[in-house]
Amino acid sequence: MSENILSRSVSWTKSAAGISILITILAAVVAAMYSGPYLIVNTIVTGGMLALVATGLTLMLGVLNIAMFAHGEYFMIGSLTAYYVFTPISNYISEHPDSFMAVVGPLIAIICAAIAGAVSGIISEKLVFGPLRRRSTDNWVMNSFLLTVGLSVLLINLHQLIFGADFKGIVGYWSGMPVSIADVFISRDRAMAFVISAVIVAMFWFFMTYTRTGMSIRAVSQDITGAQIVGIDIEKIVLLTISLACALSAVAGGSLLFMYPSYPTVGLEPLYLAWFVVILSGLGNILGAVAGAFMVALLKAVTVEYIGAGWDFVVPSALIMLVLIFKPSGIFGSDVRGALDK
Amino acid sequence: MLLEVKNLDSGYGYLQILRSVSLNIDKGEYVCIVGPNGAGKSTTMKTIAGLISPMGGSIVFNGEEISGLAASEITKKGISFVSEEMNLFVNMSVHENLYMGAYIINDKQVRNERLDFVYSLFPRLAERKDQLAGTMSGGERKMLAIGRGMMSDPKLLLVDEPSFGLAPQLTANVFESLDVLVKTGVTILLVEQNVTKTLAVTNRGYILENGKIGLEGKSSDLADDPHVRKVFLGV
Repeated sequence: MSENILSRSVSWTKSAAGISILITILAAVVAAMYSGPYLIVNTIVTGGMLALVATGLTLMLGVLNIAMFAHGEYFMIGSLTAYYVFTPISNYISEHPDSFMAVVGPLIAIICAAIAGAVSGIISEKLVFGPLRRRSTDNWVMNSFLLTVGLSVLLINLHQLIFGADFKGIVGYWSGMPVSIADVFISRDRAMAFVISAVIVAMFWFFMTYTRTGMSIRAVSQDITGAQIVGIDIEKIVLLTISLACALSAVAGGSLLFMYPSYPTVGLEPLYLAWFVVILSGLGNILGAVAGAFMVALLKAVTVEYIGAGWDFVVPSALIMLVLIFKPSGIFGSDVRGALDK
Repeated sequence: MLLEVKNLDSGYGYLQILRSVSLNIDKGEYVCIVGPNGAGKSTTMKTIAGLISPMGGSIVFNGEEISGLAASEITKKGISFVSEEMNLFVNMSVHENLYMGAYIINDKQVRNERLDFVYSLFPRLAERKDQLAGTMSGGERKMLAIGRGMMSDPKLLLVDEPSFGLAPQLTANVFESLDVLVKTGVTILLVEQNVTKTLAVTNRGYILENGKIGLEGKSSDLADDPHVRKVFLGV
């Protein structure tokens, strides 16, 4: 039995997934030795948040077959909600610095962001995707993609119209001394952002793997007719999936408010990065998306460090081109079908 | 009467395939629909299962009108459909596929009993519990599809083309497992292209031609009918 595990792990290191994960870890260690461990800290914080956005994207693609280009706008909705919820809380905290709100307040803001994301996801399903699906599913991938681009433009301009184009940011969520781990100082906000994303990704993975509802989401993504046959209500699963995916993106927006102040196009950067992740790791694979998120985050951090901040989209894009040419199914995408195959 | 289909019209979009199809099934019966390619056999099945909504006519199951209901609702009423393409969840294990088959059963105890029943019916599936459905052979997948259909404890099992794409030996296995199911008291409506074999095992049959019921009667009588012998059996 142990030999079996050994031979399996040896063959795993030779697979595309194994090679790329090992290279990523090696690159992270080497970069950290040259430039200091803060690079790894940056990678982990951005990677964790990226994992949230990318799993939402993966979910939309796998279950609904929608190439979602409005996902960044739910990030924006999340950060906007967190800003308007947290501003009064932060005023309260500055008057009563020792109250329990100093600890719980930020969490309330982030939870509100998640709820706002879920609700706006449900609204977009009811007003936009649902009507299209009932009208016609011919050429669905293209039509729904165009619809999401339109939705993105609409939401960005609605933000500008109602809330203005200025930056709406906060100084920080949790005040106090930075956390120190092995000579590296991490601000509490960053540490908490990572903890939140790690907890949510773990909960989400558990939900998808072991619960009945999570399994039925997977069932719908694998065979929609089969799901209908066993008695799964497709409309209900679709609604649940959209609200979950949008809530994941909004949580990322809410908990990164201290790094990315809310403004109309704040969602574009996480959207593009999340698409890099999804293409890199393969469509419809949740654990792959999590690993891919850290790879893209590392790539971005290393690019900013050694090449220059202006290049942080160029290098990942070049890598995506290489992946699409040499392994179009993505690094972890061997057993997953593409969006157009259905 | 368990299922009563009356003057059913159905098809895809503007294309009408079934014209006034009527059939009925009593509890415990083993009934087949046979007919040439394109006669509308699969369309009949899909319409009863709710995957296509009918253009006209009525489908009464257990005294309730079910035509026009969503497929998931019809499954909850007690009709289970084993489709020609099987529609398995290919990236899930055998166990997970069967578990999803019992989606409409909320009682964990009952679900485990159904699981034991299906595993006792198909010991082969128990051996391959953790294998991904997509990596199994055609015959095993067929068994899994039938097993998944049985998980919801259906009153009526619709089986569409179980021999499709299978080697003769495996076809025989699938027919044997259907026989076992009938003996346990399940009502089965079977659609098949393998006319000789089908008429030999079923109680009653309907001949579907060009979207209409041409003949109906006892399977043994149908097998002796000169028209059937000429068209399907080539004698």
